[in-house]
Amino acid sequence: MIAEKSIIKRLGNQLFFTGPTMVLFTVAVLVPFAYGFYLTLMKMTSPVSPLEFSGIANYRSAFNDPQFWDSMWLTVKYVGATIVFVNVIGFALAYLVTSGIRSQNFFRTALFTPNLIGGLVLGYIWQFIFVQSLPMIGEKLGIEVLRLGWLGDELLAFWALVIVTIWQSAGYMMIIFIAGLISVPRDIIEASTIDGANGWQRLVKMTLPLMIPSFVVTVFLTLKNAFMVYDINFALTEGGPYNSTMMVSMHVVQKAFLEVNYGVGQAEAIILFVIVAVVTGLQVYFSKRMEVQA
Amino acid sequence: MAVRRLASLSITYALLVVAFVCFTFPFFLLIVNSFKTNGDILENPFSIPKVLDFSRFSEVIEKMNFLVTFKNTFVITTLSVILILILSAMTAHYLVRNATKFNQTFFAILVASMIIPFQSIMIPLIYIYGAKLNLIETAPVTLLIALYIGFGSAFSVFIYHGFIKSIPLELEEASLIDGCTRRQTFFKIVLPMLAPTSVTIAILNVLWIWNDYLLPSLILTKEQDFTMPIKMKVFNGTYMNDWQLLIPAILLTILPILVAYLIGQRYIIRGVMQGAIK
Amino acid sequence: MKKTLVLILVVMLAVTLAACGGSNSKEPAKESNTTGNAANGSKEASPEQEKVEIIITNGKGEIASQWEQAAKDFMAENPNITVVAQSQAVGDTLSILDKLTASGETVTVAMLEPSGVLNKYKDFGIDLSNEKWNEETKDGFKNADGQIVGFPFAIEGFGLVYNKKVVEKAVGGTFDPFSINTRDKLKELLDKIKASGVKYPIAYQTEAWSVSNHYSTQFLNQVEDGSTIVAQLKEGKFDLAGNAVWNGYYDTMDLLASADYNKYGERPLGQYYDDAHLSVGKGESAMLFNGNWAFDSLKAVAGDSFGFIPVPVDNNPDNPLNNKIVAGPTQILVINKDATPAQQEAGKKFLNWLVYEKAGQDFLVNKSQIISAFKNNPNKVTNPLGAAIADAVAQGKTMPFSTNYVTADDWYKIIGPDVQKYIVKKQTREGLAKAIQTYYTSKK
Repeated sequence: MIAEKSIIKRLGNQLFFTGPTMVLFTVAVLVPFAYGFYLTLMKMTSPVSPLEFSGIANYRSAFNDPQFWDSMWLTVKYVGATIVFVNVIGFALAYLVTSGIRSQNFFRTALFTPNLIGGLVLGYIWQFIFVQSLPMIGEKLGIEVLRLGWLGDELLAFWALVIVTIWQSAGYMMIIFIAGLISVPRDIIEASTIDGANGWQRLVKMTLPLMIPSFVVTVFLTLKNAFMVYDINFALTEGGPYNSTMMVSMHVVQKAFLEVNYGVGQAEAIILFVIVAVVTGLQVYFSKRMEVQA
Repeated sequence: MAVRRLASLSITYALLVVAFVCFTFPFFLLIVNSFKTNGDILENPFSIPKVLDFSRFSEVIEKMNFLVTFKNTFVITTLSVILILILSAMTAHYLVRNATKFNQTFFAILVASMIIPFQSIMIPLIYIYGAKLNLIETAPVTLLIALYIGFGSAFSVFIYHGFIKSIPLELEEASLIDGCTRRQTFFKIVLPMLAPTSVTIAILNVLWIWNDYLLPSLILTKEQDFTMPIKMKVFNGTYMNDWQLLIPAILLTILPILVAYLIGQRYIIRGVMQGAIK
Repeated sequence: MKKTLVLILVVMLAVTLAACGGSNSKEPAKESNTTGNAANGSKEASPEQEKVEIIITNGKGEIASQWEQAAKDFMAENPNITVVAQSQAVGDTLSILDKLTASGETVTVAMLEPSGVLNKYKDFGIDLSNEKWNEETKDGFKNADGQIVGFPFAIEGFGLVYNKKVVEKAVGGTFDPFSINTRDKLKELLDKIKASGVKYPIAYQTEAWSVSNHYSTQFLNQVEDGSTIVAQLKEGKFDLAGNAVWNGYYDTMDLLASADYNKYGERPLGQYYDDAHLSVGKGESAMLFNGNWAFDSLKAVAGDSFGFIPVPVDNNPDNPLNNKIVAGPTQILVINKDATPAQQEAGKKFLNWLVYEKAGQDFLVNKSQIISAFKNNPNKVTNPLGAAIADAVAQGKTMPFSTNYVTADDWYKIIGPDVQKYIVKKQTREGLAKAIQTYYTSKK
């Protein structure tokens, strides 16, 4: 810690370094969030209907909304599935493209391209693959599991969502891992090479522990993105078949804007926020402790 | 030894080529389909276009009022990202080096804010800055940039925070002993060392702001302020999208980012090389 | 050092930028008669004539550019009215009307779906009963009290969309879609099509809005005013499972979704919308269940030979339900009661312009390809499915757009999944009947 002696100087630096961020963060996030919370205490059917105080009625309806908890449970399963795959694949890709091969730059760019294509088109492309291309391949090669479109089956539609998520975010996590990998001091790795450690040992014993700060970031991001998934859900399955793949964000949006139940939708969004805050808080807390030990 | 090296090299390449095919085919689909008609696109997106027909690109450029919307998107994105980078790096640096109770709490709040579902602050946002303060009417672009900095700072501070901790304190102390002020130390010593991280954060932020639809759709109401994702909506239909225009439009929109990413990549490498030479 | 200076300058710029956002907020009050500030527009009397500004919102994203052009054309004819045309973007969660209202604007003319007029925005509109255009249409949209509050902007309809070439080849000659007026005749036709070499005559796409909002509301047309059945359902006095018409439509649905005829019979759910239209467009299948908007997708692969077959409910050829196509107003224009009187007048003028002026008539039918609800409009839509609906309207072969009797969003979200479960046999017909009844009795 660097501390100034004079309080005025210290205050000046605090304001200089953190003031602008604090102000803009308050303007953009804190104020609207606080107002949004205030709205959950009101009885509102539409976003523009007049306010009428209703206490915790919205929270009570939210807690008693079975669909909300169903979609939450589904989201938890989805979070579990994506967290493992996205990070493992993302790290593997980052490791490969920093191994010093000649065309690594080209690969870095190429593997990142899924992130350049957003929502709608992505949904369309993958819909085409799951509805038309895979069944065609299944038919020709006699692969039973591919013969019928995946999006019409509860379980397969869920895995379709997981696959598209991996495909979309592995490249994103890759570039965060790259930033971590290239800041691993080369002399440490070289020293261990001279000591006779093989590639695998080097990876597990030297690189991975040094990568923990990156993993804290990427696990946090996958956790958060997975909990709040909306675009892919909406574009690929629209929650179907029969709402079996409706994740919690999509449920909240539908509650607020489609079912014309804005107050309850808003309250469910707050509950979602609290749950995710607790989960990610625990994750960051425990991984920071790991970091310290390492 | 040489044999083993060759083996591991070819495994690396094989894996990368597989990943390459899996990850980039949508991009090729975009290129291929931007030359095809709706019928050809729907029938088989994987087919090769019969003729290289650029006419739909010019139609898109005209219908999107491309130069103006490109300029808007460019100005909003660059201003927002530059400011996010500088302000977040400053904040993160200060929060790491002065981990007081207050600053730790502020950091925790920043991190927690990243999990606020945007949909839940969307209505309050337009209510406060539209109905109450009327900024949506009077200063939409400034408001939008300010909001982007506000939303973007949490994520950027979070990532900077992690990397600044790995910078040895001694360097800064040495600079302070040499007579530099806190601010000089930050801009002369710390900020340059953060370059690789900054490029990463810049890329992620550019990507987000450049492609963002929801926030600008709420804030920008006048045609002359529109960004590309908003303009692109003219090609969406309720039941059927006008793919033959939508796809070239998407391609035109993402090309600048692809170029920016390529340049950014090179910069990361150079930064690392310089570090190694020292 | 130079670098530091530049950086500090940029930071200062950031601070001033943020600050100028704040200071600007005081200025607008003086110069805000540009947009939004509705009250000013009407109070400020200019020397020659009162100037008024209105905002009109369009809910059909696909006619955004036509809508804007219409505003320009209207302004050219009415120089004292400024029209700001706004359109809903497809796929937005927040409707354009809610967005503008929440940000403090007053929308004068809003385009809403019928169920929005009756439910979410039931207190939004002013009485339009005394407008002259009521003489030209029977579709003036009534609120729960029977008062006309809505201007019927678009007529749409649905039924079995069929590919004429495929069907004509199968029957060997010209084909009259209204000749299919029993379920058995439909089955016979499907068999003929199969015999002609089409493996799956039907490509049944099963989006919730299609199978629920459209298909599953058809039974309401068994009485003249379907809202009476809805009222009975709310009181728990209507037995769906024992109702022949209600069952009849699901018997027909079983036929449409069966693995014998349906391309997706083995796994009927899935995102088949594009694929179904592609199949029928190319003639690989002969028909699907959808509305006139299906042509947007069909035209991508095929020309103009499509039409509508009524959905048969039973085997009685004299049952009117078997001989009519569902069609009615699906987009309604309402005038905001919170707008100033001058704005309301301007809004009414715009509605009249759509009905009586050449440019307005041209915008509606020729430019936007919308079936007009007004009999004085001389124009005809050119797209074949729209034309089929327009012809059916002219011949009196239509029945009300049954979806207008229900709350569309609820049927999409709450009942839709149950209908889909029924299609894949994860829900019995009794279970489906019960689900719908429970929805109504618990809603009230």
